[in-house]
Amino acid sequence: MPTIQFGHHQVHYELAGPPGKPVITFLNGLTQNANLWKSYAEYFVPRGYRVLAYDMLGQGRSSKPVIDIKLSMHADMLDNLLGQLKIEKTHLASISFGGIIGLDFAIRYGHRLHSLTAMSTFAELTPQLDLLGAVMLQGLAEAGLPYLQSMLYPMNMSSTWIAANRERIPAMKRAGYIGNDGYAMQNLMESFVEFKPLTPDLHKIKVPTLIMNGEFDFFTPRECHEVIRSKIANSRLLIIQHAYHAFTLEMPAVTMRQLEVFLDQVAAGTWQGDQSVWIAAEDPAAETQWLPCAGDWRRAVQIGVPVTAPPAPTRRKAPSRKKTT
Amino acid sequence: MIDPALYDQARERISASGFTPEIQTKITLLLCTAKNGNLMFHSGVQWMQNLNVVQQFILSQYSRELEAVTLLSRTTQWSKDPALALEGSRIVAPLMLAWGQIMMPPGPMMNPQAAYRGISLGHAQLARIRLLPVIPENADPLNPFVVALQRIEQENGRMLQTQIRLLKNIGTEIPIEEREALVEQDQELVDGVFSEFLAWLAAL
Repeated sequence: MPTIQFGHHQVHYELAGPPGKPVITFLNGLTQNANLWKSYAEYFVPRGYRVLAYDMLGQGRSSKPVIDIKLSMHADMLDNLLGQLKIEKTHLASISFGGIIGLDFAIRYGHRLHSLTAMSTFAELTPQLDLLGAVMLQGLAEAGLPYLQSMLYPMNMSSTWIAANRERIPAMKRAGYIGNDGYAMQNLMESFVEFKPLTPDLHKIKVPTLIMNGEFDFFTPRECHEVIRSKIANSRLLIIQHAYHAFTLEMPAVTMRQLEVFLDQVAAGTWQGDQSVWIAAEDPAAETQWLPCAGDWRRAVQIGVPVTAPPAPTRRKAPSRKKTT
Repeated sequence: MIDPALYDQARERISASGFTPEIQTKITLLLCTAKNGNLMFHSGVQWMQNLNVVQQFILSQYSRELEAVTLLSRTTQWSKDPALALEGSRIVAPLMLAWGQIMMPPGPMMNPQAAYRGISLGHAQLARIRLLPVIPENADPLNPFVVALQRIEQENGRMLQTQIRLLKNIGTEIPIEEREALVEQDQELVDGVFSEFLAWLAAL
């Protein structure tokens, strides 16, 4: 895997596809690595793109600093990586932890972007996320990396996926345990101590922005994505049906198709960033991919018109029993 | 990063042969060398001045490392093959040498550079020497040696917090880039030893 030098750190990356084509850069979630975007490269390269994925500092085969990584450093590093690879502009697709880096990058380095896709992410720590982050960190520090891994599967994936992959999960956890370092993950999580909400600066993002949220994502729920949608004028929000937090892993075919639709619109100049909300088709082969969203998209239940109940039938009073002696 | 294939090969070997006395002896030789080095360091710094709350963590780690060494020694079915001890000593020699340098007079108590290096090397050992991935699925979960390995690894994760906090917050005049470079250098040292150890574990 090729490497660049960033200060005294090494950054491993994968760049697939021929030079001269538009680049899509993928940003990992906290426990992910560049390898997880391989199927995305296989999908997008034949469709005329180059695909760049890399291990962020603290992940996979990149340097894993112990002492300090400032959150803002990740966006600076991406700028440096693109510079070293002579990529002037890129489409940026980012998920979860990477989603925050993507938003930060779009705010500060927007001139390097064609478009932004922010998936399962947040611009500020809601009280719920704040406590969830704290409990994850506590679990990592006190019970260790295997505990955190065990915690993340049910948080990220659906019951359907877990049921179908139950036998594979121990092997996946083992691979994750070998590839990740608890201290490096802890360092990434602790960088949130100095996290300042990105919300006040979201309006600076001018590039076409697609926000994607799993229908049942309870880790970064709708309220997180509503903040992003409401502050980025050139955005649309797309809900992935029946999806949880890690839908890029659980539903790659659906995710790739949605990204493709978005990128096609951007390339064709037909993209309309109007802050509207859509629902992704479940079938990637369906003719219409984005379906309109009816009702209040932030609610989990849709309240209909009250039905007037028919008058209750009058009951005849039962005859009282007479006590017999 | 340690090549994942090395873990796989070691696990396949143990899966095929079980936790034989030879395998157990190899593992214990490595772990005890690492832990004895850290123990030696902690015994040297635990009465340093002005440690305040940190002293509690250092004393606690000293005790827990001692427990780990005792637990391993008690549960190991030792091989009597002296060749194992010889080859094991060769593999762990870089660790012994590094701890020796740290403890060289005037010692970490009087030498801030050596004290920082001791914390950094302790971090690398606790973070990178991981044996859970070599325990095969068919291993008896009640085997005392397997139970010991699992407990030690979980405890390593907890103990590591002391090193993390010290590396991040210790008052030192060593510039941050130099400190990071020191930490990376120790990780490479431990990765090198552990990679060779895994290959040795996988060998017939």
